[in-house]
This record gives sequence, structure tokens and C-alpha cells, in this order.
Amino acid sequence: MEAHATHKPLVAPKMGLAISNAKLCMWLFLGTEIMFFTAFIGTYLVLRMGSPGWPSDPADTHINVRLGGLNTFVLIASSYLVVVAHEAMSLHNFRKAWLSILGTLLLGFVFLGIKSVEYYGKFSHDIIPSHISESEPQALSKLVRELDQSRAAMAEAAGKPADGEQAAAPSPAFLKLEQAHASLKERVRKGEVPLYDSAAATGSHHSLNPELVQLLDGLRADPEISKYLKVHDPHVMVYGNTFASCYFLMTGFHAIHVIVGMILWVIILLKGSRLDATWSDFVENSGLYWHFVDLVWIFLFPLLYIVQFGS
Amino acid sequence: MSGHSGSGVYLRIGIVLCVLTAISWAADEMKGLFQSHALLAVIVLSVASLKAGCVMLWFMHLKYEKAWKYVLLLPTTILALGLPLALAPDIAFHYYSPDVPQNPLSESSNIDGSTRDPGMNH
Repeated sequence: MEAHATHKPLVAPKMGLAISNAKLCMWLFLGTEIMFFTAFIGTYLVLRMGSPGWPSDPADTHINVRLGGLNTFVLIASSYLVVVAHEAMSLHNFRKAWLSILGTLLLGFVFLGIKSVEYYGKFSHDIIPSHISESEPQALSKLVRELDQSRAAMAEAAGKPADGEQAAAPSPAFLKLEQAHASLKERVRKGEVPLYDSAAATGSHHSLNPELVQLLDGLRADPEISKYLKVHDPHVMVYGNTFASCYFLMTGFHAIHVIVGMILWVIILLKGSRLDATWSDFVENSGLYWHFVDLVWIFLFPLLYIVQFGS
Repeated sequence: MSGHSGSGVYLRIGIVLCVLTAISWAADEMKGLFQSHALLAVIVLSVASLKAGCVMLWFMHLKYEKAWKYVLLLPTTILALGLPLALAPDIAFHYYSPDVPQNPLSESSNIDGSTRDPGMNH
């Protein structure tokens, strides 16, 4: 018994993987992220393939392939800078690493800026889930409602008379807008106003009813009305709401991931000249996360911007 | 992982990624030349898969990692595909045409069921 105790040194058995705990945790997290984004992308594909129609005309969807492609280049360039930073950390060239991370952060801002331009284009055309008309009655109903809201805004701006004061007579511009709204509402209710000009239809292209074009042009030409007029050109986009939901869900969550990654870069940049080898794991793991965000965009770009299957 | 690769490799991979993105872009610009949308889809999704492979293998260093990468990533990938694969038969693919609904109740929108085919009520 004593001989056993003296000859065999106790060595703790090697447990786990030959990578740091931090890196293992990051990869486990990325595993959950794969499931997270695959659920969105997969559901989008299923909905799109299962829909008899899908909005694919950029004139309707305001999808901008060039901006999407430009953002792909931006993320690739940022991913390249990340690996340069990681390598510089390994070589203890911390200044180069810091500058590369700064470049990555700036490219993150560029990405979000371009994304904001795209979002603005959609918001300004009311490409918002639940707002999109999917039939002619919906498009006409929306037009009537928007005219009513514009009329209410104009009335509000004119101000309610104080107690004892006599209400000012409505302006001719207000009466014109009110008349346009009331007339259109009544005629739409009776089904007398078609949305499209059936005589000018060619293939899948529809021209707006000239009467509606004239009405909107007349209202927009009036400087007093146009200040309050918030009316979108009516048009029908079948499955447009599902499209918008999918688009904003996927690109929105991706943008949130970009912002989180940028916060990680800011944490490193705040170290300034104190950045040293103890931060190598942080840079590597943040880099893995950033590459994954790039990876998601690599699939979102063709699926959302280019591919038109099922339509 | 340092020592497996270097700036030169990273730069080459970065250029390959940019070229592949340009191919997707060009394919979209020339989509009028394609006979079907399916061909364009195959091209751009193949290019995307190539790009994803480049990022994972070199930028994320999976090329140099040991076999733990399979243990960790294969189950999550297989589970991730479960949801779309489960939804696809009912929603994405239509075995029956829309004028022959699988669920007869979806045809009866009235509360009293007056529009339902009398033949169903037996």
C-alpha cells in the first residue's frame, strides 16, 4: 500500500475540449443563432413558396439590389478587417489591431446607414406590415381613409375657436379637400370608382384610374392642402403584408445583431493604448460573432433581393 | 490558430468573396437573359453557399479546428432545418389545387354554416 502511494504522481485527467471556455461558449451561442436565423429564413421560404403570388417588382417592393449588394461588400470588407485585427493581436501588434477594429466599427456604421436609406424608402411608400393593400377595395378604402386623416389634420391646424369667439369660416382649400374626401367616399361605397384604368392595362401592368390621378394631382398642386396631405398613390400588392413582415423581421434582427457587434468593438476600442494580449480571446470571440453576422447577410442578400421563385 | 494562416490568405479570401458577390450582382443585372427564375436562384444560392463556406473555413477558422466543430454544429444545423422541413409539406407544397381545399370548414365563412356543402353534413 505504501509503495503505491510513493510512485504514482496524481495528475488531474484532461477534461473538455482543447479550446478556451470562452470560445466554446461563443460557438455554443452561435449554434443557437443558427437555429434562430434558420427559423426565420426557413419560414420565409415556406411562406413564399406556399403563396400563389409574391411581390417581386422593385417598383412595388422598393427592394434596391444595388444597395443590398453594396452592403454585402461593406460586411465582407469589415470581416476582412476583423481577421486582420485578430492576427495583429496574435503578433502583439496592438496598434494595428486597434486600427483594424476601428475600421470594422466604421464599416458597421456604413452598413446601418445604407440600411436606413433602404428602410426610409419603404416607410415613405408605406411598405409597412398591415398597411399594404392586397385588393382593389382595400386600396380605395385606404385612399379614402388617408384623405380623411389629411382633412382632420388640416382642420386641427386651423385651430378650434376659443370660448366666446366665433369660428372662422373654413378656407376654400379646406372645403376643396373635404369635398374631395366626401365625394370619393360616397362613390367608393357605391362601387362607382375602379382603381385601375381597364382600357390602358397591358399584361400585368396596370395604370391608375385617370380620375384618381387627376384628383390626387389637383390636391397636391394646392400648396395649402399639400402641407397636410399624407396620401400614398394607391396600388395593390398581393401578399405584400407577408412580404413586408418577413423583410423587416429578418433584416431588423440582422441589424440588431450588427449593433450588438458594434458595441463589442466599442468596448475594445475604449481600451485605447491599454489594449494588450489579455484581450486576444475577446477579439477572437467578437470576431466569430461578427463573421456569423456577415454569414447571415450572405444568405439574406440573394434570398430577399434577387431570387424570385414562387412568383 | 495563428500560424495556420496569414494576411495573404485572408486578403485572397476577401477578394474571392468580393468577386463572388459581384457575380451575384451581375447575375441579377442580366436576369432578363435567363429562361427561368429557377436558374438565377440556383446561381445566386450556389454563390452564397460558396461565400458562406469561405467565411466559415478561413475567417472563422473552422478549417483548422478539430472534430469538435462537427459535434457542435451538425446537431444545431439539423435541428434548425426541422422547422422549415416540418412546415413545408402543408404550406409550401400544394398536393391539392386551391379549388379542392383540404379543410372543408375553411370554405364555410358564415357562422350558421349555410354555405357548407350539404353533402358534408352526414
